Amino acid sequence: MTLPLADVTFSADGDVVVASLRGEIDLSNAGELGDAIGRQLTNEALALVLDLTEVEYLDSSGIHLIYELHDRLRDRGQDIRVVIAPGAVIGEALRLADVPRAVGAAESVEAALTSLRE
Amino acid sequence: MSPPDTQAPAHDSPERGRGQVVLGTVGTTPTAARVAQLIHMYRLSDPMLSELGLEALLVELLDRAKEALRADTAAILILDDEGEALVAQAARGLEEEVEQGVRIPLGGGFAGRIAAERVPIFIADVNHADILNPILREKGVRSLLGAPLIVEGRVIGVMHVGTLKPRQFDDEDAALLQLAAGRAAPAIERARLFDALDHEHRSAVALQRSLLPERLPEVAGLDVAARYLPATDEVGGDWYDVIELPGGMIGLAIGDVAGHGVRAAALMGQLRTGLRAYALEGQPPGETLKRLDRLLQSIRGRGMATAAYALFSLETGSLRIASAGHPPPVLVSATGEASLIELVTAPPLGTLPYPMHQELEMSLGPGETILMYTDGLIERRGEALTAGLERLRAAVSVVASAEEICQGVIDTLVPALGSPDDVAVVALRNAPIELDMRLRLPADPQVLAQVRQMLRRWLRSKGAAADEIAAITLACGEACANAIEHAYAPRGASFELEAIHAAGLVTLSVRDKGSWRPPRGQHRGRGLQMIEATVDEVDVRATTDGTEILMRRRLAS
Repeated sequence: MTLPLADVTFSADGDVVVASLRGEIDLSNAGELGDAIGRQLTNEALALVLDLTEVEYLDSSGIHLIYELHDRLRDRGQDIRVVIAPGAVIGEALRLADVPRAVGAAESVEAALTSLRE
Repeated sequence: MSPPDTQAPAHDSPERGRGQVVLGTVGTTPTAARVAQLIHMYRLSDPMLSELGLEALLVELLDRAKEALRADTAAILILDDEGEALVAQAARGLEEEVEQGVRIPLGGGFAGRIAAERVPIFIADVNHADILNPILREKGVRSLLGAPLIVEGRVIGVMHVGTLKPRQFDDEDAALLQLAAGRAAPAIERARLFDALDHEHRSAVALQRSLLPERLPEVAGLDVAARYLPATDEVGGDWYDVIELPGGMIGLAIGDVAGHGVRAAALMGQLRTGLRAYALEGQPPGETLKRLDRLLQSIRGRGMATAAYALFSLETGSLRIASAGHPPPVLVSATGEASLIELVTAPPLGTLPYPMHQELEMSLGPGETILMYTDGLIERRGEALTAGLERLRAAVSVVASAEEICQGVIDTLVPALGSPDDVAVVALRNAPIELDMRLRLPADPQVLAQVRQMLRRWLRSKGAAADEIAAITLACGEACANAIEHAYAPRGASFELEAIHAAGLVTLSVRDKGSWRPPRGQHRGRGLQMIEATVDEVDVRATTDGTEILMRRRLAS
């Protein structure tokens, strides 16, 4: 028996989908996590908040996942915010990949929701 | 009154019912002609028969009775548990009787009357008799002789023989069959009781086994082993579990439901599942036991149990333990000194409301082992518990693998003929950390998490700080992911990882049999960029048959 490396839970705040990831994201699970999030993104959704607060490891497969979601949402006129907690272990990898600037980030889900509705 | 078909061979036997003659019991001296039959009869009480299982015993008895009485058919019907009907249990020449599960009500038909009246009955012509079993007629049985099987004054069944040609069974035949029945009955009863007990014991043991882990998780850096020994005559409610949790955490559980038998085993199954569920939710040991206690209190007709649960971090070696009335775990140092881990234990599960479950926090360093066990391992009748604990401490004072420690305590502490109580042991050893790390791994993304786990543990042992561990692990993870993606063999491909630490410098090498693929697509190819940003030096070079990524990072401390 092996536990899944990561898990994702979904919630909705009005027309914004919040996907909260936890655990470790690598080549073995980034694809299926991306598919799972994709299934929750209806055309009616205004935006996606991708909450990475509880992600302990994220490699370039995870970065790739974020950029793919970003491209897909942008093509449909939807928005995205990535939640990166201050001092998070994965913050450095995300900054190296330019995620905060190119995709858009917030320090908490609340801050992400506020910025989406501004 | 006398039916026309009824012969009157037994002049002293009163008639009973239509077509049936009850034969008296006779104790005649055997004539010379009967000597061969007596030898057959002796064979019916052959002590070797008791070696057979119930089914084989019945078949053997019937064959011998058939031979002795020169009959064509023979059958044994056994009274069912309710004592209401006879059920065909074994037959020779009448196998359909058993296959079709023929049931004859007590008091009815040929066999039913024998059982009800507890006397032998002879039927000269089946066609004119009150026969309930159609198979007898279908098979063309003409004459029947039957006798009750009696054990300690209790009828347990009926044995009968039949012939296809009309036959005059006489008093001597009846006496022989009664002798056969008299010898067979206790053997049948013994075999039946043994079969029933054995069956229950075997099902209980099978149930118990099915409730224990089928196999233990295989995690790099983790050396874990367990044993379960059922009690000699009854199953118990002991269990163990090893639970692989996210983030390199391992849960180690042991428990003992009070009582024996299937009920204890079934409750054990519920508790093991409950503990596993709470553990998988990420609950710490104290909270896990608290919830397990609540679960047990909610079970109708609940019992009580002792349990201990330990949570171990592979990366840091930290160990948190809580216990609910369970015997103290043993810590074995890397040099083989064993000591009992003194815990503040809560009361056993299911005994007192609102218990407090304290946790002990300690460290299980590389090479150290924790052993948990159930009381069956240490308890001996008429001996103080401390003596058993001391024997256990002596038995595990060795430098050995978890497997060897488990086997060692079983060999030393469990009597060769088995223990009257069941025994469970589970040992977890924090594997010693190698000076350098050299691994050959399958090119499968599933190994990445394990590689990171091992590397974090190795880096920590070299004194790397948390941010250094995160950075080097990311670089190594990227290099390994690249090796996995680019391994060209469709099946069975592998890659190699080497980690060396010398004079504060960590050198990692990842070798595969493919080539570094140039970045494709807009967002691909961030891997190398990640590596470059997280280590001091990176070198990608072609080898004779693949690619090697060489990474170096100097540790601050």
